[in-house]
Amino acid sequence: MKGAALRIVSLGMTFEGKTGGMEALRDINLEVGGAEFVTIVGPSGCGKSTLLSLVAGLEHPTTGWVEMDGVRVEGPGADRVVVFQESALFPWLDVQGNVQFGLRVAGVPRSEREARVAEFIKMVQLENFAHARIHELSGGMKQRVGLARALVLRPKVLLMDEPFAALDVQIREEMQVVVQDLWLRNATTTLFVTHDVREAAVLGDRIVVLSHRPGTVSTILTNDAPRPRTQNDPTVMEQIRRANEILKAEVTWADQHPL
Amino acid sequence: MGGPTPPVAPPAADKRRPSGDFVHLIPMMLVAVGFLAAWEAIVRLGVWPRIFFPGPTEVGTAFVELWNRATLARSIAATLSRLAVGFLLSLVLGSILALLMLHFTTFGKGIQPYVLGLQTFPSIAWVPLSIVWLGYSEAALLFVTIIGSLFAVTVSVADALRTVPTIYLKAARNMGCDGMELILRVTVPAALPHLISSAKVGWSFAWRSLVGAEVIFATVGLGFLVEQGSENLNIAQVMAVMLVILLLGVVVDRVVFSRSQEWVNRRWGLSTAR
Repeated sequence: MKGAALRIVSLGMTFEGKTGGMEALRDINLEVGGAEFVTIVGPSGCGKSTLLSLVAGLEHPTTGWVEMDGVRVEGPGADRVVVFQESALFPWLDVQGNVQFGLRVAGVPRSEREARVAEFIKMVQLENFAHARIHELSGGMKQRVGLARALVLRPKVLLMDEPFAALDVQIREEMQVVVQDLWLRNATTTLFVTHDVREAAVLGDRIVVLSHRPGTVSTILTNDAPRPRTQNDPTVMEQIRRANEILKAEVTWADQHPL
Repeated sequence: MGGPTPPVAPPAADKRRPSGDFVHLIPMMLVAVGFLAAWEAIVRLGVWPRIFFPGPTEVGTAFVELWNRATLARSIAATLSRLAVGFLLSLVLGSILALLMLHFTTFGKGIQPYVLGLQTFPSIAWVPLSIVWLGYSEAALLFVTIIGSLFAVTVSVADALRTVPTIYLKAARNMGCDGMELILRVTVPAALPHLISSAKVGWSFAWRSLVGAEVIFATVGLGFLVEQGSENLNIAQVMAVMLVILLLGVVVDRVVFSRSQEWVNRRWGLSTAR
């Protein structure tokens, strides 16, 4: 099943606060092809997580809209699943219970549910841990559960919100391989938000660099090096260098033009 | 693919807490023995006449007497069955009220100060009204039990539900879970460790309200036995029944609430320290 195409049109978001509005995103325009892997990187506070929430339909934009295969996103749906940081797993369920959560909500019959859950638990190599509780898992294993919990729903779009930010460098690189492998198998359109430029360069077909607050699209870099890639591939290293330069310029500009 | 190393060993099963260790009961027993000794000593000083201040032996005799007449068992059964009904109703009603307060935020804000006020309202002060409305009846006892614990349950359940991390709700909504299903599948299990404390709070309020009301107007029950003993100047009976009330409180707390709290904490991966 191929992922859906996304179209983000003039998207803007302003949060109303006691001291007036805080503009998080301004006029974001982005087209993502079906089964494309796009990473979004930017300085902290640039609204990248907000962008994902808007695509997920968990929040409503102040201006503009998001389209999936030509249909406007109006609210949350299991066709656009978010993988959060590890704390989003449910501690009262075991690994299997977490992975089958969305299928139970969708009312998928038991036999099909069990088969799909087993398939995806195997895909993230946790078949020996199907009945382990969440607090018994390591950070990397928790994120595999998070990935399986999202992918088992066969979403058309996978949204990843800094999923590996809390992991050690070594585990993080291991997870980058896992994600690429899963993406090659499932061909799900993926938006991956990170503040780690290296991670963005390793994973993205395209790397969207956001500016400092309010977040706007600063540059889009393209990388068509073969997968799975690592940080040592020459094209990836080149993208890391360029993305860093742009981010540095953005931060410098923001420092000279305080809000 | 130069894949990730697959994890190998399944996690070891949790094997703490061997059942049948009574070591932790020893301090409790020592306190009981010390209490009985001090009590006997004070009685032997002879400051008050024994009829008003009986010692452990008289109280023990009164206990055996009540037991032999089957009065005690019948009273315990009467009180506990009232408690079960009243406590369960107040749990259900209090939880519904808490959910309504959280769901309709304006209503919640409007009613919050009154609920807090009613929580601290002395349950005995409801007794006259309940007698006028419902007569000297079981219904009146239940009314006092429920009204005396309902608002404590509401406050505590609302607090418990508010502790649920929004990330769980976000993740669940994102997977298509909404409305009542969200509450049952996510909010309640996520709050369960706190909800057990709410039930404990509700139970203690219900227990106090019920026994208090029984002292005033029941015709059967533990509270009634206390009142009857005092009417007949049978102070040994008063004290024996008071001790029974105390022991029931300890037993319910240890057997029902402490056990379920430990179980939930273990399952949820919370601190297992006792």
